[in-house]
Amino acid sequence: MNDFIDPDASEVTINKKTELPLVWFLPLIALLVSGWLIAKSYNEKGPVITISFPTAEGLEVDKTKIKYLNVEIGKVTAISISDDLKTIVITAQMNSTAAGYLNQNTSFWVVRPQVGLGGISGLGTLLSGPYIAIKPGDGSKENHFTGLTTPPLLKNNADGTHFILETNNLGSMKPGTPINFHGITVGEVLSHKLSDEANAIRLTIFINKPYDQFVRKNTRFWIDSGIDLSAGADGFKVRTGPLISLLSGGIAFRAAAEDTIENIQPEYSLFPLYDTYNLSTQIVYQNTLKYVMYFNGSVRGLTVGAPVQIRGIPIGKVTEINLELDKKTAEIHIPVTVELEPDRIKEINNDNNISDKDVMAQLINKGLRAQLQTGSLLTGQLLVDLDFHPKSKIVLSDNKSVYPEFPTTASSLDQFTHSANIIMDKVAKLPLEDLTAEANKTLQSLQGTSKAATGMLVTAQGTLDTADKTMASAHQVLSIMEPGSTTHYELEQLLQELTQAASSVKQLTDYLEQNPNSLIRGKKDQ
Amino acid sequence: MKTKKTALAQGFIRCHDCGCLSNQTDKNSHCPLCGGRLHPRLPNSFQRTAALLLSAFCLYIPANVFPIMTVTRLGVGEPHTIIGGIMALIHSNMVPIAMLVLVASILVPLLKLLGISLLLLNVHYRWQSHAKKWTILYRIIAFVGRWSMLDIFMISILVSLVDMGSVAQVIAGPAATAFAAVVVLTMLAAKNFDPRLIWDNQR
Repeated sequence: MNDFIDPDASEVTINKKTELPLVWFLPLIALLVSGWLIAKSYNEKGPVITISFPTAEGLEVDKTKIKYLNVEIGKVTAISISDDLKTIVITAQMNSTAAGYLNQNTSFWVVRPQVGLGGISGLGTLLSGPYIAIKPGDGSKENHFTGLTTPPLLKNNADGTHFILETNNLGSMKPGTPINFHGITVGEVLSHKLSDEANAIRLTIFINKPYDQFVRKNTRFWIDSGIDLSAGADGFKVRTGPLISLLSGGIAFRAAAEDTIENIQPEYSLFPLYDTYNLSTQIVYQNTLKYVMYFNGSVRGLTVGAPVQIRGIPIGKVTEINLELDKKTAEIHIPVTVELEPDRIKEINNDNNISDKDVMAQLINKGLRAQLQTGSLLTGQLLVDLDFHPKSKIVLSDNKSVYPEFPTTASSLDQFTHSANIIMDKVAKLPLEDLTAEANKTLQSLQGTSKAATGMLVTAQGTLDTADKTMASAHQVLSIMEPGSTTHYELEQLLQELTQAASSVKQLTDYLEQNPNSLIRGKKDQ
Repeated sequence: MKTKKTALAQGFIRCHDCGCLSNQTDKNSHCPLCGGRLHPRLPNSFQRTAALLLSAFCLYIPANVFPIMTVTRLGVGEPHTIIGGIMALIHSNMVPIAMLVLVASILVPLLKLLGISLLLLNVHYRWQSHAKKWTILYRIIAFVGRWSMLDIFMISILVSLVDMGSVAQVIAGPAATAFAAVVVLTMLAAKNFDPRLIWDNQR
């Protein structure tokens, strides 16, 4: 059997022969690929964090995502109840890229669909279920977080500037109230709190980046909600804010033309918030003079804030009205403190050496007096009018206030009531009883007169009877002229002739009308 | 058993292409009938099978660990691994389908891998018993090979059919590629394995 091959020998040659290593690249590649895949997914895994929330509504293990700017950076892996049974604790597996965001001040909140006046948000979560949003913060590394119940107002670290607004009345403003600049929404109210003295409310607002530079020294903020209806000499004016502000309130601001780029205010600058647009347009004068005025008589209708005018132009306002009782003399004084803004008066021939106070003293010497005047006949509001009364003397009261006294004079209304009183006194002094006695006498004589008149009427009756007779004889005369009688015929003849005469006169007048010259030249022949 | 009476033992080599038996002992010879290269057994059968098997094993791990497809419903993507998909099917009371997926996607590839490994071990260590049963195992593996592509077929159909933008979308995951590679590699491994080696070892 020469052709017999030993199975052992053949096996060595067939099976144990070293194969070219090419085929062994295959498992190597497979190993590399799977190793790479595993390493990649391992590297993508970031830290595991826990977040506590008041409720797990809508959150699902392995389905609820953690997103930043709508980019998925983590996933909820477990939901459990906290040890004190008050909150739930979410365990989340974050991506490695998220590791940098997980700091102490990082906030988490659940995004759910919200429908409000300001719009609809989170609509996508209506179908897909809520997700957890994150707002990166600073601070040290942290693994446990407490979730917010409401979304933070600045959902991402937008560029911009914070400012503080001070107002007395919060009104309908709340976090999220838009802030408009020429109608563009450029920011929003972040929070509100009472000031330290609890006499005002401070709103923290945020203005987005390109617009924060317009918040300068003289920038005015005002509440831009509702409809501002004003009636003036030029008709009715309606000012409204954007529709959203109409519904849910809003704040607007405008830049002042005199501000330059150097006047851009730093972060957390304080601004007053005016209640209306009109208030915000009024200029606030820093330089004020305070005076106290003592008015005789009632100040009913005079309120704090009432204007002080010079010949109808406002130059200040009433800041305080008090009632004083002098215990020694038992006299009542009403000191009215006013604030004058001398800057409102344009000065001509200015002399810098004379202070505003000196100018006022000079004016008072020239006869400038304060006087109460009725501002509105409907409401009876009073205002303080300053005008020159050169004849009136300076009458000063016993001024106890810190401010200098401004002399007053009786108001025109006071003068009017005074003279009315005098008239009424005179009326009261009239001898009314004598007058009535006189009147009675007159009436009695009138009675006698009427009796005499009755006698006269009887006489008149007789006269009428005579007249009747006269009429009867007249009837007889007329019957002579009945048709058929000669007199009648003659009369008819007379009438016909009269008619002819009249027509010829008419022809004559017609001719004369057409040819008036015939009066002088005679009738022309045809 | 006439174990010594193999064709090779008697000096015959069977041509792979035309099946002609030729009495040639020279390994580099050609078939007298069709001219094809003659090999006493599939060349380097053991090494090739082993390499392919090892590759399949390597890829089997990512195929099961990573998501095989991501079903996006209304903008929310949910990646599913094979096991996760089976669990989801069981949770939605579709146990028969879950069983089908389990058999087609996990058990069949796994058993194929194990079966080929056992065959290789058998050849390497020259296990003497049950040669016939080993051959039956080989036949099953060779037959079942193509059927475990079920998953891949399903995914490829879903990916192209369920493409409704943000409403619903199916995206194949990295595991799908790995899984397809495992199936192809096991099929190639089974094809490269020469069952005659089982019989060669019998004494």
